[in-house]
Amino acid sequence: MAEMTLIDAVTTALAWELEHDPRVVVLGEDVGVNGGVFRATAGLQARFGADRVQDTPLAEGMIAGVAIGMAAQGMIPIPEIQFMGFIYPTVDQMINHAGRLRNRTRGRMSCPMVLRAPFGGGIHAPEHHSESTEALFAHMPGIRVVIPSSPARAYGLLLAAIRDPDPVVFLEPKRIYRLNKQNVEDNGKALPLDVCYTLRQGSDITLVTWGAMTFETLKAADQLARSNISCEVIDLATISPIDYETILESVEKTGRLVIVHEAARTCGVGAEIAAIVAEKGLYDLNAPIRRVTGYDVVMPLFRREMDYMPSVSKIVDAVRETLQD
Amino acid sequence: METIADFEIQYSQFLDPSGKPSADIPDFARDSGTLVEMYRHMVRTRVFDNKAINLQRTGKLGTYASCLGHEATHVGLAAAMHKDDVLAPSYREYGAMLYRGVRMSEILLYWGGDERGSDFEGPKHDFPFCVPIATQCLHAAGAAMAFQLRGEPRCAVSVNGDGGTSEGAFYEAMNIAGARKLPVVFIVVNNKWAISVPIELQTASKTLAQKAVAAGIPGIQVDGNDAIAVRHWVERALARARKGQGPTLVEAVTYRLSDHTTADDASRYRKKGEVDEARRLEPLIRLRQYLTDLGAWDATREKELLQAVAEDVDAEVQRYLNMPKQPIEAMFDYMYRELPEFLEEQRDHATQYGDSNGGHHG
Amino acid sequence: MITFNLPDLGEGLPEAEIVSWHVSEGDTVKTDDPLLSVETAKAVVEVPSPYSGVIARLHAQAGDIVATGAALVDFAEAGSVARQPKGSPEPEATMPEKEDAATVVGNVPTGGGLLQETAIAGGGRRRKGGRVKATPSVRTEARRLGVDLADVPATGKNGQVTSGDLARYQNTVAKPRPAHTSPTPGRSEALRGPRRAMAQSMTQHRNEVALCTIFDDADIHEWIMKRDFTARILRATAAGCSRAPALNGFFNAQSMSHQQESRVDIALAVDTDDGLIVPVIRHVEEMTLDQIRDEVARMKKATLDRTVAPQDMVNYTITVSNFGMLAGRYATPLMVPPTVAILGTGKLQHDVVAVMGGIEVHRRIPLSLSFDHRCITGGEACRFLAAVIDDLEKPQ
Repeated sequence: MAEMTLIDAVTTALAWELEHDPRVVVLGEDVGVNGGVFRATAGLQARFGADRVQDTPLAEGMIAGVAIGMAAQGMIPIPEIQFMGFIYPTVDQMINHAGRLRNRTRGRMSCPMVLRAPFGGGIHAPEHHSESTEALFAHMPGIRVVIPSSPARAYGLLLAAIRDPDPVVFLEPKRIYRLNKQNVEDNGKALPLDVCYTLRQGSDITLVTWGAMTFETLKAADQLARSNISCEVIDLATISPIDYETILESVEKTGRLVIVHEAARTCGVGAEIAAIVAEKGLYDLNAPIRRVTGYDVVMPLFRREMDYMPSVSKIVDAVRETLQD
Repeated sequence: METIADFEIQYSQFLDPSGKPSADIPDFARDSGTLVEMYRHMVRTRVFDNKAINLQRTGKLGTYASCLGHEATHVGLAAAMHKDDVLAPSYREYGAMLYRGVRMSEILLYWGGDERGSDFEGPKHDFPFCVPIATQCLHAAGAAMAFQLRGEPRCAVSVNGDGGTSEGAFYEAMNIAGARKLPVVFIVVNNKWAISVPIELQTASKTLAQKAVAAGIPGIQVDGNDAIAVRHWVERALARARKGQGPTLVEAVTYRLSDHTTADDASRYRKKGEVDEARRLEPLIRLRQYLTDLGAWDATREKELLQAVAEDVDAEVQRYLNMPKQPIEAMFDYMYRELPEFLEEQRDHATQYGDSNGGHHG
Repeated sequence: MITFNLPDLGEGLPEAEIVSWHVSEGDTVKTDDPLLSVETAKAVVEVPSPYSGVIARLHAQAGDIVATGAALVDFAEAGSVARQPKGSPEPEATMPEKEDAATVVGNVPTGGGLLQETAIAGGGRRRKGGRVKATPSVRTEARRLGVDLADVPATGKNGQVTSGDLARYQNTVAKPRPAHTSPTPGRSEALRGPRRAMAQSMTQHRNEVALCTIFDDADIHEWIMKRDFTARILRATAAGCSRAPALNGFFNAQSMSHQQESRVDIALAVDTDDGLIVPVIRHVEEMTLDQIRDEVARMKKATLDRTVAPQDMVNYTITVSNFGMLAGRYATPLMVPPTVAILGTGKLQHDVVAVMGGIEVHRRIPLSLSFDHRCITGGEACRFLAAVIDDLEKPQ
């Protein structure tokens, strides 16, 4: 058992898989000697060599495409994209190939790979470094999207993603990369994918969130608890496919739902969750579903980035409004 | 000022359009049996291609991209490859795929709207057709990286057209392959047209082979209508790659004698005279003439070959036409290794509607 | 004097070790001159001077571990023109080392402490039939009406309470939920609780019922017990039901069916601050006057205490309203569908009556009987009222 931050947990999980599965290769810009711009791969090249932990040329589409080629030929590549803002050249490869390869070859080929990227705002970064566009990948059939929100889940879910026989986009909330430490046992045990994690049980209202927003949401739940409002907080964890049974079970209990995400509202993953609950949980609802999200604007530069994002008070207000409905 | 880097691009041809040797014939081609075998594959490809167009024209096949005129390049590159090398084709390399063991009925299934067309009985490790232009170059690089990391003496070969050389992925693939000396050969089938855009509007480069220069890898231009040249230079490139000396770009200059696809009408954008001229240069004429001049081929053998190939093609067409549609649930069953629960629900929904839910004829 | 505190070196380390100082107390430094070397987990980093001035005090020595944010250097004469520092930078050909911020952009926040959490992996299965199922619109309506949906019999798909279920329930129930607010003058306030229920049921009444009211008086001059008013009214109502059973029951407008009840369950309207509350006295037809009196007393107390149970306010067959406690002799009281009759009693008066050709003053109860003329005939209503009067006029 060791105390580790979320990014330590990423590094530890990568090391475990590099150690135990010779098919695993980490590749990306600056992942080698430099250990990644956020140090997610720190020390891995020294430990596993420059073949297993490769610095690549600077071309994200290339990184994804090469990874797909490797995956199709029996390797398990773990490409890193430095920032979500630079992930878009991979979209062609991910949607046209990674998500389709198994299907279009009727299972003759598959694409076990994990495309890692830090995402989200709140670190005072320059332009293009703060977006949350997980919904782009959640919309791609055949691709899993996984977002951890604690060191323990970063470790367990990344192991699971690497071992998953299909492509996974693993997005790491960089604002909480080093925020907290947690006791995590480096035992190679994966956590289940495709399920939510209930971080707090409650009876009055269900709050669904993911990534760094779990912190704001849990704080809001604490604050509301002082007013005797009992919030159930669910970390979505696997953004696609969504474990809607857990959400519906919670909504059945509470009758109320607030969805919190950093990404812009329109066509965000929150819209999908709201739609699922409307389709399958309408008769359990006591009040309209509310979303607390980023605005449908270009992510402001960092002097205003926190005003863009959901905050504890925005969440608390949404919960109170929902309880009054 | 001084010149710190310079380049030159070689061009190679062994058989001229009339079938006369224009250079010393390489060793492998001194065995007429080898050339006859290549010729058989080229004829087979052409007969198949012609049949596929006819199937499309008679409503038995969807849109089809003909490979007319590309036979020498296709067969030449495939003949150069080892069986356990990996081919990453675009969507027109039937000659190469057939040579490597893909069934005609599989190619027809693909263009006939059935995913099983990409589930080759063999070669199992080859990449399927690739429609997004030049993206397969990266897959070849990735495959080569896998071979390199595992220390396997295998190579990857990607094939894209002249149009694909404008794509970033084409350059990106050469670039990383060069940087890491990956065992991969990039083949550009320069058939002069990216649908309706002629090569002059695609690039200011005199050759496409010189696109290799920026990636720091060798590039060569060969006569893509000369099967001997294609095979020879791809063999050389593969040998080089297998020895750990890195990738090569081979530009095979040919001509797209057909429309871009059966849905296209090339007469809208190119002159008939140009096509007629190109037809004179096409690859079967010269190889047949060369073999005839060697005494290794004659009209009887030609007739027998056409007869045998026609039977072969007909049998595969029948196999294709007799293949029932996949069950509806097949669209779900290969999305993930294990079907996620949310898809089970959609799968049930789709199957409830059965075949009655519109759709068109296979 | 300015104090320079050990900055957050970007990795969220709570502390750092001082490797060496490049300045001494008394030295004059310029902004960006090398100040000291600090070791983080990843690198030894150079910390430059943030100010120009004279070093007044070094708060720590080489080898010391200093907490992030703790005082490091005091500068005297900060901002003044500085001379060359005594210590020169280490002769490095490379770029000066920086702290490892573990990012190439921005700062990754640190120092949130040790995370304790319980995370229960999902894969939930919904229970079936746990909570009441209803659409949000039905829930909203139920909230407005003050109805607990758990009390409403559900007939919808998957056991959900439909709007029809709620309406049916609503038609036979008065609402218990007290609303303690009184309207603010000059401001529009949404009706709540019993008042909203009243608005609804009266609207329904107006839309549906063919109302007819007949008026008469009962002379209670002969009464022995003068103060047994409510019990007597109830007994008289039961007598009316006995004589004209048509008034004791329900009319279903949709099926155009009229249902007579043998039980006489009388809803007794009670005025409270929150509006009208209508508890039900059941099986009055089987009760003695004493029993009725006791039951009324019990129910009134419960009503005023607001402890009356919901089931004691539903499913009645006829209504009695004693509207005339303060003023008003006659009225056209409105029944709540699907019931078909309501008997109103006005303010007791001493009336001049003609008795045997003479004039006497008697106490009389003004009676107003409303009935739904869709299913009740005038004759039935008159027989009913006559029976009520007969019973009321008995001495006891």
